[in-house]
Amino acid sequence: MQIKEEKQNAVHIFRLDGRLDSNTSPVFEEKVSDAIAKGAKQMVIDFEKLEYLSSAGLRVILKTTKDLKRLEGKLVLCSMADYVREVFEISGFDSFLPITATRDDALKKF
Amino acid sequence: MSSKKITFKLENKLSELKRLHQQLEAFAKEHQLPLKDIFEINLCLEEHFTNILSHGYADRETHWIDITLSVEQEKFIACIEDDGIPFNPTAVPAPDFKCPLEERKVGGLGVHLTRHYLDSMAYQRRGGINILMMTKKIDSQAEGV
Repeated sequence: MQIKEEKQNAVHIFRLDGRLDSNTSPVFEEKVSDAIAKGAKQMVIDFEKLEYLSSAGLRVILKTTKDLKRLEGKLVLCSMADYVREVFEISGFDSFLPITATRDDALKKF
Repeated sequence: MSSKKITFKLENKLSELKRLHQQLEAFAKEHQLPLKDIFEINLCLEEHFTNILSHGYADRETHWIDITLSVEQEKFIACIEDDGIPFNPTAVPAPDFKCPLEERKVGGLGVHLTRHYLDSMAYQRRGGINILMMTKKIDSQAEGV
């Protein structure tokens, strides 16, 4: 999996490319923790190029949501394929996480 | 004629997920399985495989997990066998979705997703081996690989 990071004003954006599974999610978790340690409170995760995720990926997303909430920050997810979005819905994650169709829409949430 | 069945072994380490994915892709391509079904089957296999790794073995030895994938009459069947401690995923309770965010846990979510995506899941323990049979109907109208 490839993880790209960029900043747009105060929003820290992660772009995931590939597979977020039990094998690769610890790498992503570490990058998110680093960003939070460096002061990121507003975050977007762009799923446009994400092919696959399992509950290991959901675990990182849940942890990030809780960490950012504690800091009075916010996490927004965007650009998911339908089958990826379904994983979030079946898990009930769409009830507490904003998921937008595009990255521009995600940035408007801040 | 394409083979209706493949069997392979995975070692009890997370890096084997890559091989699991490769084996499944090759099998799916041969049988022109729809992309969405491949995604869902991959997820179910990963969730069970990682549960075996997390809970199955108290020692630090190498263990092998046997996986058989087959297709018959528009049904995909996966059989996973491991020699870990008895673990019946069909008995795992559903996660609590009503609790507040702070108390939400990921434990149980893998099995929850697996139940959602599969048509059936059957467990038996035989001769010190956990045997899990997963069945999923294939959507023959959907787009193949």
